[in-house]
Amino acid sequence: MTSIGTGYDLSASTYSPDGRIFQVEYANKAVENSGTAIGLRVKDGVVLAVEKIIHSKLLMPESNKRILTIDKHIGYTSSGLLADGRQLANRARDESQSSRDFYREPPTLKTIVNRLSLFIQAYTLYSSVRPFGCTSLLASVDKHGPGLYVIEPSGISLGHHGAAVGKGRQLAKTELEKLKLNELSMRQAVYEAARIIHLVHDDAKEKDFELEMSWIGAETNNIHLPVPKDLFEDADKQARDALLEDMED
Amino acid sequence: MDHHPTNWGRPRDDRVDPYGTFPIHARPRPKEDAFGDAVKHTQQPIVTGSSVIGLKYKDGVMLAADNLASYGSLARYKDVQRLHPVGTSTILGAGGDMSDFQYIQHTLDSLIIEEFTYDDGNKLGPTEIYQYLSRIMYNRRSKMNPLWNSLVVGGIKSDGESFLGYVDLLGTTYQSPTIATGFGSYIAQPLLRNAVDEHPEPLTEEEALSIIQKCMKTLFYRDARSLNKYQVAKVTAEGVTISDPIEAPTVWGFAEGIRGYGAQTQ
Amino acid sequence: MPHQERRFNPYTENGGTILAIAGEDFTVIAGDTRQSEGYNIQTRYAPKVFRLTDKAVLAVNGFAADGNMFVQKVQQRLEWYAHAHNKPMPLKAIARLIQTMLYAKRFFPYYVYNILGGIEEDGSGAVYSFDPVGSYEREACRAAGAAQSLVQPFLDNQIYFKNQLPPPGGAHPRHLPLNDVLSLVIDSFTGATERHIEVGDGLEIYIVLAPNKSSVELERLPGVKRIQGTFDIAGDASPDVTAAAAAVGVTGEKMFVMRRELKKD
Repeated sequence: MTSIGTGYDLSASTYSPDGRIFQVEYANKAVENSGTAIGLRVKDGVVLAVEKIIHSKLLMPESNKRILTIDKHIGYTSSGLLADGRQLANRARDESQSSRDFYREPPTLKTIVNRLSLFIQAYTLYSSVRPFGCTSLLASVDKHGPGLYVIEPSGISLGHHGAAVGKGRQLAKTELEKLKLNELSMRQAVYEAARIIHLVHDDAKEKDFELEMSWIGAETNNIHLPVPKDLFEDADKQARDALLEDMED
Repeated sequence: MDHHPTNWGRPRDDRVDPYGTFPIHARPRPKEDAFGDAVKHTQQPIVTGSSVIGLKYKDGVMLAADNLASYGSLARYKDVQRLHPVGTSTILGAGGDMSDFQYIQHTLDSLIIEEFTYDDGNKLGPTEIYQYLSRIMYNRRSKMNPLWNSLVVGGIKSDGESFLGYVDLLGTTYQSPTIATGFGSYIAQPLLRNAVDEHPEPLTEEEALSIIQKCMKTLFYRDARSLNKYQVAKVTAEGVTISDPIEAPTVWGFAEGIRGYGAQTQ
Repeated sequence: MPHQERRFNPYTENGGTILAIAGEDFTVIAGDTRQSEGYNIQTRYAPKVFRLTDKAVLAVNGFAADGNMFVQKVQQRLEWYAHAHNKPMPLKAIARLIQTMLYAKRFFPYYVYNILGGIEEDGSGAVYSFDPVGSYEREACRAAGAAQSLVQPFLDNQIYFKNQLPPPGGAHPRHLPLNDVLSLVIDSFTGATERHIEVGDGLEIYIVLAPNKSSVELERLPGVKRIQGTFDIAGDASPDVTAAAAAVGVTGEKMFVMRRELKKD
């Protein structure tokens, strides 16, 4: 990168002459090289799926969850530095609880996303801190219906129909664009999500991975829950079979 | 100079009656801390709920409470739910101050959400909720700032056994096969104990419901702060269910003959 | 002033009675299981007697919420002690701990009468009784609670032989055998149940035996159950095991609980 060595990339509180903040861009690099995470906002709910890279065979299966719960009705996952993601999840939990304490009702997703964005953005202002090295996906069904937001290290937050972050994001986005997300059911979305994660995973280059999926919507009584085992296994199997068929073709 | 025990520990003020000529109880007492009145704690309940009753039966526990929240003798709110589910295997019923009860509901809801976000497979059952509530209530009474409630906790424990316990504003706790709070401890508790003690087998759901209905009806007849509109909650292995408001059939024909109620004016 | 009268009263009385008697090489600690407030029986089973260690049992009576909280706090302190010293706290140390904990709340007392019973380090049975703010003494027997005034005079007469003449040429026995003590305890509670409305429903008797005392006779009694403790060792351990256990403070006291029904009216 041309910027390296110019001195404008040493602090988040310094702009480069052409108006960029390199520290924030580097934070995005941490996300771009990490396992893929996708979200599908469909007709009656939202589905989250992540490609959890297994760094070691010694790790327990299903441990070190990548999809977390913020509140009964808010799901969270991130791509990038896992530790930063956990920190942000905890922050979001605190925000959600304090909103409940004050208003005595479940916060809307937008409320939490706005508060979390402000928090993340504050870490792009000072030389004494490092921007968060992760992009967050937040999924919810609130009084406005299903919602899916993405917050980047810059603190920018945008609502999405479908979102993909991490290493396989380009291919995943192409796949998501082919879907009629507004017409899918949650159940269909689970199959699509599993298929996309398996599809974008690069067997040749990557280590082993574990698929992780959660959903929220009509099927879960608007509570954020892991996708039930039987459905998960069926979706996982179909996704694997589809890949094999493609290879044979 | 003044060695009488009643005056021990009081600031000495020799200008006032140094020879102790006043009777002891009439001695001028030094004023208490000027800021002592600045902090006000709950000294009495305001909007109140009456009895809560509960019993264990074959498949779990059953609780009932009417839908009235009184303001003194005024029947102020007639559509108040005094039964609150906590998690998936516990039900909480409350009498006493309704604003304190709402605070308790919020505290428990927050606890359940926090526990849910941990996603560690751990569930809070009735014993945990009961213990948690007893600590909250005892702590508040120890700060001389009580939550003015009588609470009944019912549910199914993780081992499948049913649970029924009581906690109140003093932090007093107990568990029992039948529980009735407030006026219900006089009216409903004997009926409930009779039903359970006289029965060799555990009560069936129908039997439990029928005795609960009998208790609620009797309470409506006898408790001036009650309403003939109540809800029944049950916790079984299937989970928590709270009924829609129920009305008990009542008969008032006999009242015509009662002086001061019926036609007579004398 | 109405304000004074309406002031929140943080205390109540929950009835019931407790009792402990020390023998030469055993101690018996008992309590009824009724919990009441005024004329209401709240529950027929609320324990007032608690195992603290292998050789110590605490009975609490008075305001039940204070009692339960106090027992939990004592148990927590004993657990910390056990973790720090790898042995259970000796009885006389528990007694002093309880006095310190009670006195710490001298100006907002636990409204509780405590009786601590168990086996001392010298193998003798011991009873310590406390007032709510921590004054305590070691005694041979003590009753407390609602029916104290009924039970204590009976105990004075039967245990201390007050108002009894010794047999001609003899003396009163210094200690009574276990069976006699158990009979006295049961009679005390049936008597108190008969004459005091706050006593009844159930009787829970804890029996702690000194290391060398045989439990054969006791185990033959109906409703007696052995309690196995954290620091407990099997009764028939080899001398090697016993010596090794003694080195970490495990000395082989045996604890039993005996449950009896009392009248429920």
